[in-house]
Amino acid sequence: MSDASAHALEHHEPVTSTGIPNKKVLMWAFLGSDCMFFGTLISTHLIYRKISATVGGNFLDIRDVFDIELTSFSTFILLASSLFMALAVSAIHKGNLNSTRWMLFGTIVFGSIFLACQVYEFTHFVHAPGNELTLSTYRGEPHVFGSTFYVLTGTHGTHVAIGVFWLLGWLAYSFTGKMSTAHALDVEICGLYWHFVDIVWIIIFPVIYLMEYAM
Amino acid sequence: MSGHSEDPVAEESKRFFTFFNLSMFLVAITGVEIVIIYVKTFESASIIGVLFATSIIKFFGVIWWFMHLKWDKILNTILFLMGLVIALGTYFAVIYMADSHPVVEKFEVAKIEDAWKADHSYQASDYVLQGEAYFQARKDHISNKSFEPKHWKKVVGVPHAITFRITGGADMIEINSKNPENPYFHLSHPDGDEEIEESTTALLASSASTADFRIKVRSEAFWTEVQ
Repeated sequence: MSDASAHALEHHEPVTSTGIPNKKVLMWAFLGSDCMFFGTLISTHLIYRKISATVGGNFLDIRDVFDIELTSFSTFILLASSLFMALAVSAIHKGNLNSTRWMLFGTIVFGSIFLACQVYEFTHFVHAPGNELTLSTYRGEPHVFGSTFYVLTGTHGTHVAIGVFWLLGWLAYSFTGKMSTAHALDVEICGLYWHFVDIVWIIIFPVIYLMEYAM
Repeated sequence: MSGHSEDPVAEESKRFFTFFNLSMFLVAITGVEIVIIYVKTFESASIIGVLFATSIIKFFGVIWWFMHLKWDKILNTILFLMGLVIALGTYFAVIYMADSHPVVEKFEVAKIEDAWKADHSYQASDYVLQGEAYFQARKDHISNKSFEPKHWKKVVGVPHAITFRITGGADMIEINSKNPENPYFHLSHPDGDEEIEESTTALLASSASTADFRIKVRSEAFWTEVQ
């Protein structure tokens, strides 16, 4: 019996022809397709940033709106949440339920802080005095920046929110007394999703935010 | 792509330090990104290059260790990279499409105020100002000593010369008046030449200047607009 098959049996996972649990293959396939989804959104934002670089005849300097300190803070928070998630997966594999619970809780808290930062950021952008960035305008002039920016970062935020609810589900389940190493794969799949949300932000933060300061 | 060791608990304990170290590394790299933006002692191209490199390092750090690709079968890596390659392909294809963009080097709209001249060569459709009225030449001719009405047709309105120079290629040029009471619309489809320099005339209801017009130039996916 191969190592992978032995591991599958140990965690009560069905043996498959690929040697990888079907759920996990499905999640990786989904993440691959989600890459295309975010790739399209990021491309759209960058293309429109390039071809619609002016507003009212002047260069659109979005740094007047961005709050890079806040976004940097939320980036650190999301990176830290990924550590908690990795440790939660590690803990459930070891059968340490208490540690799993705490690590899931940490991930949820940090994910929620990230979401709160995003809600604050969006509200701040829309109501920034003199620099209002809405879905269709910037400083009252029609512009596409708001559309591509809010759709991209909003879609990412929605992914984070879904991840938080998913983790909340696992945290609640951990208190039912039914959670064991048999659920290690399910928590790991949840972790894959969470890390994916993290790597999407790893691209969004420099490409959408920091690049504005480099130009 | 190693398999799992015989003791999964010992294996997971070893990974704890890997995850922690990786996390600290990711935080440090993100810190470097923010610092080089704040310090801003490098050129934009260098900063963008560094951001690009650090993003790739962080990206692969997360998928390789946090997402367990290092320890998983290669099928998972292939599945994910397929989506990633298609996403990157889409990005570079669209960037390429938008890269060649037209530039309006010159765009001028000016009232024609050339007075009729004796012994001058005129071509059909040329406009002249004779007294208080505008006239348009009926055919090519050389003027005599005095103005001959048979060669000219009086026009109602104010003729204007519209000149533009476009570089970077264009397959559609649209010029229109911003004033609805002084309407004008011009649409042409050049062959996509790299440099286009043209002059055309427009008979308008009243006097206008460049500020009263806008020109839009399209090259493939790229639109340039000058108002």
